[in-house]
Amino acid sequence: MSNEQDLYTIIGVSPNALDEDIRRAFRQASMRLHPDVNKNPGAINQYRDISAAYQILGDAQARQKYDQRYHTRPETPEYFSLRVTPSKRVLTKMDEPQVLYLLVEIIPDRTIERSKLVSPVNVCLVVDRSTSMNGVRLERTKYAAHQIIDQLGEHDVVSVVAFSDRAEVLIKAAPLADKNAAKVMVTTLTANGGTEIYQGLQTGYDEIKRYLGRNYVNHMVLITDGRTYGDEQECLNLAEQAAQDGIGISAMGFGEEWNDSFLDRIASRTGGYTEYIRSPSAVVRFLNERIRSLGDALAERLTLSLAPDPDIVVESAFRLIPTPQPVTVDADPLQLGQLQPKMNTSVLVQLQMPALRHQGFRSLMRIVASGDIMWENHTLHQVVTDTSIEVRDNPPDEDPPLAILDALGKLTLYRMQQKAVESIQKGDVREATRKLENLATRLLAAGQEDLANAAMAEARRVSQTHALSDEGQKNLKYGTKMLLLATSQDRRDNER
Amino acid sequence: MKVCPFCAHGNREGVLFCEECGQVLFGGDLTATRKLARSTVQLEGKNTWGTARFSQHAVIMLQVRDNPNMVEIKPGTETTVGRYDPSSSVRPTIDMSTYGGYENGVSRMHAIIRRGEDTLTLIDLGSANGTHLNGQRLVPNQPRVLRDGDEVRFGKLVCRVFFKMIENNT
Repeated sequence: MSNEQDLYTIIGVSPNALDEDIRRAFRQASMRLHPDVNKNPGAINQYRDISAAYQILGDAQARQKYDQRYHTRPETPEYFSLRVTPSKRVLTKMDEPQVLYLLVEIIPDRTIERSKLVSPVNVCLVVDRSTSMNGVRLERTKYAAHQIIDQLGEHDVVSVVAFSDRAEVLIKAAPLADKNAAKVMVTTLTANGGTEIYQGLQTGYDEIKRYLGRNYVNHMVLITDGRTYGDEQECLNLAEQAAQDGIGISAMGFGEEWNDSFLDRIASRTGGYTEYIRSPSAVVRFLNERIRSLGDALAERLTLSLAPDPDIVVESAFRLIPTPQPVTVDADPLQLGQLQPKMNTSVLVQLQMPALRHQGFRSLMRIVASGDIMWENHTLHQVVTDTSIEVRDNPPDEDPPLAILDALGKLTLYRMQQKAVESIQKGDVREATRKLENLATRLLAAGQEDLANAAMAEARRVSQTHALSDEGQKNLKYGTKMLLLATSQDRRDNER
Repeated sequence: MKVCPFCAHGNREGVLFCEECGQVLFGGDLTATRKLARSTVQLEGKNTWGTARFSQHAVIMLQVRDNPNMVEIKPGTETTVGRYDPSSSVRPTIDMSTYGGYENGVSRMHAIIRRGEDTLTLIDLGSANGTHLNGQRLVPNQPRVLRDGDEVRFGKLVCRVFFKMIENNT
């Protein structure tokens, strides 16, 4: 019962609505979201839920039965809510497509007691032991692993997998009984062989699965310094499977050679994030932070489903808070990882609106946020909201909201850096140089001198050698991403 | 289409930063935007869209669309919004009947603005045509925090809400 969804919320009517209201609400939803008119994956998912709810609420007898249970069910608190802010409140009537941004914030109920909220973790460290990790990288990683083992409690499950061309389980997934024995196992790790990430991920996934459950925060942390060849697709398939099982994957890359855009895709699909580790000693801090934040969740397996009207295109989404990360929009729902008890999770969504030829109010998108609440009965909490916007001939002049401007200004820098990389991959050196120079200009204007210099240096390098340096590329990518983090921290301070 | 003044790239309407070169494409004052990009903290206290804090000495300024007059409201613990109907005895604190409430589908008891410790929340009372906060339809009886500059729509009646500090003369 506790995991049963509120059918009235799904249809979008109040529990004392008349049968006629329910029918009307369902008909309106069908017009927007039925698979015959709307091919968007979010619309397909949401329509399935709506029609399932209507099967019951649309049938007088079934509804009566449902109502009996509905009215006796325990009152659940509103663990989190949704707030949507558009970049414009009134759109201009025009014959060409236009862009609209939505800031979607998932807001935790801040009155919930923090002490209740230490969730047990089921975490697997997947450590690259290829030859290149030899020396200080592997040593610092071991040290970090030791610290994590010390930090975790008796209810936490930990496993460690090491991989090169093949993978081996160093510590089998189990509640930590003997910390010293576990640490010794980590100490025995030596470097040898190549890098085949799929081997590591698959073995780690099998370990996580042994304790997979809703009462755990299930997360895999991949630590690598190299590229994997030939098994990328298998890795992505595995990430897809992990996302469905509710397992997050984060990746930490040492040095310059690891394939960050590939690992980004894995992390984005599962709600995790990627981190660039410039100096080996930083791995200790990053890994500790990652594991500590894992246990501190109000909700886990947070997802966002976006069902736009059929004529609207969701172009991109980017998670701004808690950790900046692009989110893939070609699959529904979007995986957002976890919701922390005192911090909003926010996502900036870019929409393309069709030519708008009529004045008046029109619907935009139905949004559903879901997450597993990490204590009490581990209930699924779901929030549904419907958004609409006004179209007019001459909308009043107004500045976009600060929160959107600020985030978008920095996101633009991140995107420019990505576009420069794309141009190089296409072999367009002139274009890439120009983009990097533009990026340098913008970075300078934003007061980021170091990054601006790095962009200039890369622009020169590209024009001469037709390639970015691995180091410079990662510097720019993670540097511009860090700017977004600064934004979210500013906002967090401001957040009440 | 908006042509970027810096790189002449044609951006779609609504794009805020040129997709090609990152040039700011809205408003006229470029130096002002640079300031915003650095930190949002400096803007505290200004009348901008987004502040949720509603202090003890603040009042609500309500502007109904296409009506030049602002209504000043000192919110009590609960302020009701609706449309007075002579045939019923209840009278909402804010009566929208003079602003075309009937034509725009405002219910008799449409919504409540509730005053918390230092925030205001807006609650839809299960009105027939709904309450929208910045385009987001409110679920009946679920409170939502109101922020300075928010646009609230009761049925089809569009209002802007501003917070105004009043001087403390004690």
